[in-house]
Amino acid sequence: MARRSEVETGGAVPAPAAQRRSQRLDQALELVFLLALWQVLSLWLGTYWISSPLATLAGLFRGLASGELLLHASYTAGEAAIGFLVGGIPAAALPFALRRMPVMTAILDPFMVGGYGAPKLALAPLFILWFGIGIESKVALVGVTVFFIVYFSTLSGIRALDTRLVQMAQVMDANEHAVARHIVFPGAVPYIFTGLRIAMPYSIGGAVIAELISANRGLGYLVQLRAMNYDTTGIFVALAATTCIVFLGNWLVNALERFLLRWRPPADAMLQADA
Amino acid sequence: MAAGAILEIRGLAKRFRARAPGAESPWIIRDLSFSVREGELLTIVGPSGAGKTTLLNMIAQTDTASGGEVRFRAQVAPLGDAKALRPGLSRQIGYITQDDNLLPWRTCLGNVLFPLEVQGRLDGQTRARAQSLVEAVGLAGFENHYPHELSGGMRKRTSLIRTLVYDPPVILMDEPFGAVDAQTRALLQADLLRLWGEGRKTIVFVTHDIAEAIALGDRTLVLSRAPASVKSEHLISIPRPRDIGGILTRPEFVTLYQAIRAEVA
Repeated sequence: MARRSEVETGGAVPAPAAQRRSQRLDQALELVFLLALWQVLSLWLGTYWISSPLATLAGLFRGLASGELLLHASYTAGEAAIGFLVGGIPAAALPFALRRMPVMTAILDPFMVGGYGAPKLALAPLFILWFGIGIESKVALVGVTVFFIVYFSTLSGIRALDTRLVQMAQVMDANEHAVARHIVFPGAVPYIFTGLRIAMPYSIGGAVIAELISANRGLGYLVQLRAMNYDTTGIFVALAATTCIVFLGNWLVNALERFLLRWRPPADAMLQADA
Repeated sequence: MAAGAILEIRGLAKRFRARAPGAESPWIIRDLSFSVREGELLTIVGPSGAGKTTLLNMIAQTDTASGGEVRFRAQVAPLGDAKALRPGLSRQIGYITQDDNLLPWRTCLGNVLFPLEVQGRLDGQTRARAQSLVEAVGLAGFENHYPHELSGGMRKRTSLIRTLVYDPPVILMDEPFGAVDAQTRALLQADLLRLWGEGRKTIVFVTHDIAEAIALGDRTLVLSRAPASVKSEHLISIPRPRDIGGILTRPEFVTLYQAIRAEVA
């Protein structure tokens, strides 16, 4: 992500392949630097406070080999994925349904702004009270978190509609349905993806937090359990696994976006490529 | 209605909403009248800001008139009420705007097929027509390119044949070749003349380029400054088919050019 701003502001653009290679090298150096910093900190403060990278890696492998880590990770990923869809699909659909109802949109607006601004994580205890400590409460929390982010980005996509394109289509005798399908929707897709990309890490974060508060499985539960046992390395392992899921989720969203938005100019595609 | 006229504009007027409350709202067009014969290529020149685009918007019914009459065959455009407008009058009036307005998420061919698709007329025959138009303007091999992968001239050509493909009897053009270099422009003009020669559509072509107006038109109208009305009319008697490059040195071209320039300035 750090590379992104560099590409945007870079004046002269070198050949894409060479640029990508130098970027990869930079990223590798950055990783080595961070690992070294982590190692130094753990040596300095002791493994009781900060586990070492090697111990974490070993813990990761042990967890994977025993199947324990995959089991918990799959619960968390599943909750996040279901919540992502449960929140994201209505959020992307609602602004289209409201497109011809400006009054309704205006009435809903303060509630949506309130929902967007409210600290969703504070809802976790309430959802656990309502839906129990199973998957339902996590899906609810993730869904609510994702919903507002995607709703507002989709709404801005519809508001950014190029009316000249609509006029062109109307002159060609396109009806309301054709305009919605061929112009409004494709024009809003980049905005929907902006929302999805922002919401992705939040969905996993939401699932983990809900598990932290009350659960009997999942990576958040693992963090909580190990914290109670003063197992610092164990916590680091669970956090590393969470980060891996975020990476995987990002990759999935970006791959889908690259495929659906292949019509975009290359300058834009280049910014996407390294995300 | 004048004999053979397909399009008739009578006393047309347009005023925009006042900027400040209580202020007099400005007339952009006032008492503008002309008619267009079937199969004619009429060019209109005028100073910038003279309401040329507004005029075309009113003919295409994407904007309402404040007064007067726009008549296509027997149909009169509604006044004042934007909801009653019928943009393009059921595909009878094509409109090629200043910007190419291609859909960025559709390929070159996808854009050309767009009107056929939304009109529910996409079949083997119309598809073949689209393909032959693509070839006629030299876009063969670029069918699957997205607009951002096409040059400015190619985008203009795509926009041009996207309207030709569904065959509206009247086509309005608003400085369609404005934003391209001189050489491309000459090629596009030659393309247009050739396609027009084959199909003999009725074309209303608006431009601020006097040379272009003379080179393309059967007749050229000169608009006055806002509020715009028709200042003068010039018959272009240069025989067709015309050679866009060679026309510039013909004596009748030079005479017309000087006469029109004196009026526009």
